[in-house]
Amino acid sequence: MLVIFFLGVIPTQAQETILIRNGKLFPIVGEQIPRGCLLIQKGRIAKIGTEITPPPGTLVIDAEGNEVYPGFIALMTAVGVTGYPGTGDDLNELGVSTPHIDPYDAINPEDDTIEVTRMGGVTTVMTISGTLNVINGKSVVLNLEGDLAEEMVIKRDVAQIFNMGAKGQVPYGPKRPGNYPQTHPGIAAFIREKLQSALEYARKAREKDKKIIQPNFEEDYVPFRRDLEMEALVPVVEKKVPALFITQNEVTLRNALNIIHEFDLKGILYATADILKFSAEIAQKKIPVIWAGTTSLPKKWEPFDLNFRTASVLAEKGILFCFDQLGFLGVNSHNVRNIFVPASLSVAHGLEEKEALKALTINPAKILGMESEIGSLEVGKRANITIWSGSPIQMSSRVLKVIIDGKLIPMTSIQTRLRDKFEKIVQDRMEKKRTKKVTISGENKLF
Amino acid sequence: MKKKASFFLLFFVLSSLLISQDLVLKGGTLLTVTHGVIENGILVIKGGKIEAIGKDISIPPGMEIIDCTGKFVMPGIVDSHSHIAFDFEDVNEMTDPVTPQVWMKEALDPDSENIFTTLAGGVTTVKTMHGSANVIGGVNVTIKLKYNCPVEEMIVKGVRHQLKMALGENPKRVYGKEKGQMPSTRMGNAYLMRKAFLEAQEYKNKWDEYEKALASGKKNVKPPKKDLKMETLKLVLEKKLAVDCHTYRADEIVWIINFCKEFGIELKQLSHCIDGYKVADIIAEAGVSYGGWVDWWGFKDESYDGCPYGFKIMYDAGVNIVINSDSDDEGRYLYLNAAKVLKYNDIPEEEVLKMITINPAKTLEMEERIGSLEVGKDGDVAVFDKHPLDSTSKCLMTIIEGKIYFDYTRHSIQAKE
Repeated sequence: MLVIFFLGVIPTQAQETILIRNGKLFPIVGEQIPRGCLLIQKGRIAKIGTEITPPPGTLVIDAEGNEVYPGFIALMTAVGVTGYPGTGDDLNELGVSTPHIDPYDAINPEDDTIEVTRMGGVTTVMTISGTLNVINGKSVVLNLEGDLAEEMVIKRDVAQIFNMGAKGQVPYGPKRPGNYPQTHPGIAAFIREKLQSALEYARKAREKDKKIIQPNFEEDYVPFRRDLEMEALVPVVEKKVPALFITQNEVTLRNALNIIHEFDLKGILYATADILKFSAEIAQKKIPVIWAGTTSLPKKWEPFDLNFRTASVLAEKGILFCFDQLGFLGVNSHNVRNIFVPASLSVAHGLEEKEALKALTINPAKILGMESEIGSLEVGKRANITIWSGSPIQMSSRVLKVIIDGKLIPMTSIQTRLRDKFEKIVQDRMEKKRTKKVTISGENKLF
Repeated sequence: MKKKASFFLLFFVLSSLLISQDLVLKGGTLLTVTHGVIENGILVIKGGKIEAIGKDISIPPGMEIIDCTGKFVMPGIVDSHSHIAFDFEDVNEMTDPVTPQVWMKEALDPDSENIFTTLAGGVTTVKTMHGSANVIGGVNVTIKLKYNCPVEEMIVKGVRHQLKMALGENPKRVYGKEKGQMPSTRMGNAYLMRKAFLEAQEYKNKWDEYEKALASGKKNVKPPKKDLKMETLKLVLEKKLAVDCHTYRADEIVWIINFCKEFGIELKQLSHCIDGYKVADIIAEAGVSYGGWVDWWGFKDESYDGCPYGFKIMYDAGVNIVINSDSDDEGRYLYLNAAKVLKYNDIPEEEVLKMITINPAKTLEMEERIGSLEVGKDGDVAVFDKHPLDSTSKCLMTIIEGKIYFDYTRHSIQAKE
């Protein structure tokens, strides 16, 4: 039995099998299919083609010629940990070195930004623990669908966040008073000390294991104490977890590259300026870049479009990069849907549109080490799919449908609810004229 | 010898481009904003003003012709909420929550780099402002982005400028939380505004009486003491200065509209106005503009209800909708942000373009001079390589009163490579 629905009328119950047909498919990996079908089974992409016969019980979605893309991916967000006013902002624990802090411990599935972000076409995010400390903590990858944190998280411990310029600045606040480090060389030395300690700790921990296997009670036995801070850094120095370095300029970029080299780390660079100065080295060493500087204002002596053009140069040089778009005060959860803005500006200034789309999908998937799971429309991958009225690079395009892990997402959020509520209130009030008189000037007519 | 001659020729041509006030833009799609679209059109600017617009009109002899074939010509973009053209350290005189005696024109720096980066985004007129730390801030100044021209040439003359006022969390935080002073609550904000204007009314009355006494020939009439704070507020009461008030919450919006009505204050713009859609009919009825963003929300408690779908509600209620940047970053791509309105709202495309041109011109009371391509208006024009609401477009040239202030072929990094 076939159940056919047009885009406007979709039931919200979970369906094991979904067929999207009559869509313009943009798989990102592989050729576009001008009029194609995509079959979803058990949360995975099962088939892609021009004609697919749906098995019985399939929910068929007619894409009506609209554009079908993978779910878009944004790194460096706070989605899930900034909650809503009253529950507190859990980004940025106090401290200088807090690598053991795990945002998984703060993920709130009721966070309003989850609905807002996915309605904007971003289905998957990497949420971090903060940026203000020198060593901030772990990161998680979330699919923006689920009622429990464990349902949303699809990968844990995906990157350790270092900030090469973390002199303790906080918005509206003073520098971290009296604490080391306060300078760029201090920060670099601090990180080196910690990574060195982690290497020491790993060695001692493995020796301890050996002692337990072959105990020698005649030796002085010092009980081994676990150090959670060090344990969080051991996978980083052993290249199991990438070290993501937040940089602000040439100096911090240079320091990050040096540390990556000295400790032979699996590095990722987060840059808001000056990245092109190191493009040859980054290309040669195959270090991925999160390019967050498209909208950074150029320095006084730089051409006005230096940062608008940077992405096209990164693409030309074969550097693996993705975009990031900061919020009002830095890393945030409310502005993640605008990850397309730097992509559009970059396309206007020379980046090929297909490279821009890669930088929003398969590239961040690769940076996360999850390219077998997400980032393109390919058989076997998670069914994270978005249907758009036009190219996502065009600000006027609308997200019509969102599917995450094969589940159709209700297209509602705090903002659609506010719209519905106040549309009615304003209309009602316009129908009857206001007649109440109110005085505010306070001319001794208090009571 | 030949090389030197051609260098001087090039220099002469380029510099004459910069100082020319007469220009013809030929062959582009003219987006007039108020009179439709003219394909393959001709725009003539003479003496800094638009002299002629049309399809097959004659071009006066001896004029500089800029070939705009395949390009889009629109009125220079207008940003009525900005903090560019001065050192950002000067944005808030936050030593006192009431500082109408402060004039932003005295902070202007014509060499500010952000004037140029904003020009490169097709913007020609900007109202650059005091910040929102104060309940009553300084006098804002509307300027044309004539980069590196003397301050007096940048300031728009013959127009009513606006005083900055602010309600909400910012004054509460700056004074209450950080300094332990009033205001620390919304009631405190309201009180300070009320107190200032009641005192200004008294001050105005004293001076009116003095003027009357002088005029009637009375002898030995002493003038009242001059108070620069009160002088500015007196100008506001006399409607010689208008007001732009920063508000977020719906109740603040309604409050300030009522307050201004009672004191006879000309409220022209509600800045940010995050909750504007909730009281769209009240804003429209009061004839005040919404001057805000398209989709910012959540960065402060009071911005939590920001809603991009609210544009339709405001449009249907008849609000004069203006899209502003409040940022030297976003001020460079207002056209890109404007296109977002279409993502969330069923509003005609031509109406969206108005939100960054003629609508802010109205807010600034300059709709006779800027905001559309019409004969008699200032020759303020931006040329784009594609339709400005196409998110892959970029500005190629920005012209103010017939002079080219930004030219992609000269200023882009590509040109220098």
